[in-house]
Amino acid sequence: MDTKDDVYYIGQVLEGKINAFSYLVDNHKDKAFNLAFRICGNREEAEEVAQDAFLKAYRSLKDFRKKSSFATWLYRIVYNTAISLVRTRKNRVLSVEEFPADAVDFLGFSTTEEEAVDDYRNSLINFALQKISEEERGLVTLYYYNELDTEELSKITGISRSNIKVKLFRARQKMVEIIKKVEMKNVLYNG
Amino acid sequence: MDKQEMNDETLLSKYLNPEKIEKAPDGFTSKTLTRIQIETQSVKVNKGLFVKNKVPIFSAAITAGLILAAIMIPAGETESIGSTVWKYIQDLEFTLPVINSYYFNNLSLPGWFSYALIGILLLGFFDRALFGIFHKGKNP
Repeated sequence: MDTKDDVYYIGQVLEGKINAFSYLVDNHKDKAFNLAFRICGNREEAEEVAQDAFLKAYRSLKDFRKKSSFATWLYRIVYNTAISLVRTRKNRVLSVEEFPADAVDFLGFSTTEEEAVDDYRNSLINFALQKISEEERGLVTLYYYNELDTEELSKITGISRSNIKVKLFRARQKMVEIIKKVEMKNVLYNG
Repeated sequence: MDKQEMNDETLLSKYLNPEKIEKAPDGFTSKTLTRIQIETQSVKVNKGLFVKNKVPIFSAAITAGLILAAIMIPAGETESIGSTVWKYIQDLEFTLPVINSYYFNNLSLPGWFSYALIGILLLGFFDRALFGIFHKGKNP
């Protein structure tokens, strides 16, 4: 993440050059989208959330104080927007049985075996993420995918560092339990 | 970190690959930029109607108010809808609580108080004026 470049382009946008904002979108869109996707659980809502977040960031760019990096500031907006959206819609609780036991078979679109295993693991992680709370989903994504430390997580979520550690520990435990259950079910299914 | 926690961490890191993030769909940047342009333009148009024309709108409102007052409250004795309404207002029976000026006359405020009050009002006025000058055109 090139913070110096971010600061330069923020300056350009504040001078009225709207197209400079495309650099910021290009640079951060994937991680912002991934965060929204892992919290919301589907691509349509994730795209809406990520776009909303960039729009909000653009509108309040003049208030960006540069105390944290632009990425951290943007992730906070994505996190809050995604959490709000998930909380407004009615959630359906998934059961372990709903994870397809033959997931590896229908992931046959993958070109190599390694890719197929990666795809399977990714779908299993998405499944496990949907079984924990939206707040925990956000924390796990920011910690493992965006590779942020607990201090940055605290800035983004507004939760204290010690509390984040506790929440991450619990989320990890829940996810591991779900993964083990699904794997066990798959072993039985595939003989 | 205890053994159990380390095992959990190892298992999760096997599944959670930071390189396997869900990428934004194609055309995401252009879609976002278009949305920003459309939404900020509509805000500017809405803002323009009220902010840019606030002086003539304000003047027109005052003029209309004065004309209306002149029609409704005639100076002469001529009977009109206005005078009827005015009479009706005058005939309304209601009483307001009497303000006892005795308490105000006996208030002992320090001599500098009135100067401080005028000073605060002037500073407030200059603050608003300077804020308006220095923040003009700063919005993207």
